[in-house]
Amino acid sequence: MKILIIEDEPELAQSIAEYLKSENYLCEFAVTFSEALEKVTTYEYNCILLDLMLPGGDGMKILEELKKQDKQDGVIIISAKNALEDKIKGLHLGADDYLAKPFHLSELAARIYSVIRRRQFTNANVIQQNELQIDLLAKTVLIHDKPVILTKKEYDLLLYFIGNKNRVISKNALAEHLSGDFADMLDNYDFVYAHIKNLKKKLTEAGCDNYLKTVYGTGYKWEND
Amino acid sequence: MEQATNGKMTKLLNKPLRVFTIYALLVLGASIPVYYLILDGVWIHELDKHNRMIKRKIEGKFAEITVNDTLLQQTLHLWNGVGAGTDLQSVSDGILRKDSVYTVTRINHFHAKEREERFRGLSAYFLINGKPYRLTVETNVEETDEAIADIAFVTVIFFVILVLGFILLNKKIATKLWQPFYTTLNQIKGFDLSSQQEITFEKTNIIEFEELNQTLQKLIEKNISSYQEQKEFTENASHELQTPLAIIQSKLDLLLQSEYLTSQESEIIEATHKALARASRINKNLLLLSKIENQQFIDTKTINFSQLINDSLDFLSEHIEWKNITVEQQIEQDVMIEGNKFLLEVMVNNLLLNAIRHNIENGKIKVAFSKSHFVISNTGNSRSLNHNNLFKRFSSTSTETPSSGLGLAIVKQICNRYHWQIQYHFDQSQSLHGFLVNF
Repeated sequence: MKILIIEDEPELAQSIAEYLKSENYLCEFAVTFSEALEKVTTYEYNCILLDLMLPGGDGMKILEELKKQDKQDGVIIISAKNALEDKIKGLHLGADDYLAKPFHLSELAARIYSVIRRRQFTNANVIQQNELQIDLLAKTVLIHDKPVILTKKEYDLLLYFIGNKNRVISKNALAEHLSGDFADMLDNYDFVYAHIKNLKKKLTEAGCDNYLKTVYGTGYKWEND
Repeated sequence: MEQATNGKMTKLLNKPLRVFTIYALLVLGASIPVYYLILDGVWIHELDKHNRMIKRKIEGKFAEITVNDTLLQQTLHLWNGVGAGTDLQSVSDGILRKDSVYTVTRINHFHAKEREERFRGLSAYFLINGKPYRLTVETNVEETDEAIADIAFVTVIFFVILVLGFILLNKKIATKLWQPFYTTLNQIKGFDLSSQQEITFEKTNIIEFEELNQTLQKLIEKNISSYQEQKEFTENASHELQTPLAIIQSKLDLLLQSEYLTSQESEIIEATHKALARASRINKNLLLLSKIENQQFIDTKTINFSQLINDSLDFLSEHIEWKNITVEQQIEQDVMIEGNKFLLEVMVNNLLLNAIRHNIENGKIKVAFSKSHFVISNTGNSRSLNHNNLFKRFSSTSTETPSSGLGLAIVKQICNRYHWQIQYHFDQSQSLHGFLVNF
C-alpha cells in the first residue's frame, strides 16, 4: 500500500508515517506544491493525504489535476482551516474524506483504511479476520458465519479498531470519534467504556476471540497477528 | 430628539439664553438712571436757554420804553401779583448781581391737583431807569419720579421685546445652526462597531462641525480597522495554533504506542491528551466565533427547527440517559426557521450540552419550542448564574466543569446574528436554569 503525505509540516508528516508504518503502508512525502503535483501525476497511490495550504500553491489545484487525469487515488484532505466551504469543494472535486487538524492518528488511520477499502474493487466489501467477517456494504457482522447485531456506534467502533490493529487507541480518540466535537465538553468518557463493554460482550458471546484488550490507564488495543 | 435624562441637564442653547437675558436686564436696568440724567440735563439746559430768552426779551423791551418810576412800580405790583412765572422786583440793597440759575420744588396752586411741582428758575439783574432790578423766571420741569417711571416703563417694554426676540432667534438657531450637530449625534448613536458599517457625515460649512465630523470619522475608521485587526488576529492566531496542536496530538498518539510505558506514564499521557483536547476545543471555538463575527456562514435556508432539535436530542440521548435525566418536551412540530443550518445546530447543541453537563443525577431537562420562542431549562446548582457576564467569553470557565468557556458566547453571537433575544432566568423553587431564545 502506497501513501503520499502532502504536508509542509515535517514533524506532522513524520508522525503520520511512523504511525502508518506498522500497518505495512509505504509512505512518501511531498512538501511543496510542485513536488506534490509531480508525484501525483507520475505515480499512483492507494491514498493521498492532502494539506490544502502548501508552499507554492493551493492544494485544491492538485485535486483538480487528479480529476482531470482521471486518477483513481483515494484522497483525504487534512486541513487546519476546517472551513465548511473547503470541505464541500474538496469532496465535490473528488476527495474521499476531510479531516480537520488537529486529529488523532488513529482517526486518520481508520479513515485511510476505509478509503482504501472503498477504492479496491475485488473483495473490498468484506473484511475477513479469522472467525470475524464484516460486510461493509450491508454493514453486517458475522461470527462463525452467524450474524451479530451491533448498534451503529458499536459497529463504528469495530471498524475503528480494525483500522488500527495492534495499536493503542486512547479513550480520548474514541470519545472524539463517537461524539465528534462534543467529546471534550463531556465531563467523562464513561460512555466510551459502556459502548466498548457492550461490543466486547456481544462479540465474545457469539464465540469471537477476545481481540479487544484494555490497556491500563490509556485506552484499548485490537490485537491480531 | 431625546431629552436629557438628568433633570438638571439643559440644552446647550438654553445656557447662553439665560445669561443673555440676565445681561440684558442688567444693562437695561442701568440705563434707566443714565437716561434720566441725560434727559434731565437736556431739559434743564433747554429751560435755562428758554428762561434767558425771556429775560433778554423783558430787558430789551424795558430798554426801548420809557416809563416813570411810579407807573413802573404799579405795573410791577400788578404783574407780580398775577404770578405768570416771571417776577420783577427792585433790588433793595442796590447791588447789581450776576445772573444765577436754581431748581425749586413747591406746590403749584394752578394745577388741578395741587401737588408739588419742580421748577427751573433764573434770577437775573438789570437796570431799569438806572435802578437795579431782579428778574426771576420760573418754568415747570417734569418731576424726577415721573421721569424715572416713564423711562422705566419704556425700558421694560424693550426688555420684553428683547427677551422674546432672544427666545425666537434661539429656537431658529437651534434648529438651523445646530442641525448638522444633531445629525452627527444621531448618526453616532446608531453606530454599531460589530456591523463594520462606516459612517459618512454630511458636509457642513461650519468649521467647528466639519472638524468634529472629520475627527469622528477618523476615530470611527480607526476603531473599525482595529476591531477588524483584532478579529483577524483571533482567526489567524487560531489557524496558526492548529498545526502545533496537531503535531503535539500526533506525537502523543505515537508515544502511546511505546511498548515500555509504565502505567504512571500512561496516565500522564492520558491527562495530557485531555488537556490538549480542551486546548483544541478552545481554539476551534475561537475560530468559530471569529468566523461568525466575520459574517461567514452566510448561506441561509428554511430549516425544520423541530426536526433539528429532535435530531440533537437523539444524538445526545446516551449522555442524557447516562445521567438518568428526564426530558420533558413541548415541541411544536414542523416549525420552520430561516438560518444557517450549521449555526442553528451549534446553538441547539451548545444549549443542550450545557443542560446535560450542568445537570444533576436524576435531573430534568425541559425543552419547549414554538414559532416565537425556544426554551431549554435544566435542574442544577441551586445558585443563580451571574447574569452580567454569562455570555462573555471565558467568564463561566470553572475548574469543576472544564469547558472551552465559549459555548454561551457562541450561542449569543449566533442569536445576535439573527437578531434574536436570548435571556437567562432562574427558578429558585425548582433550581431550574433556563435559556430563552425569542425569534
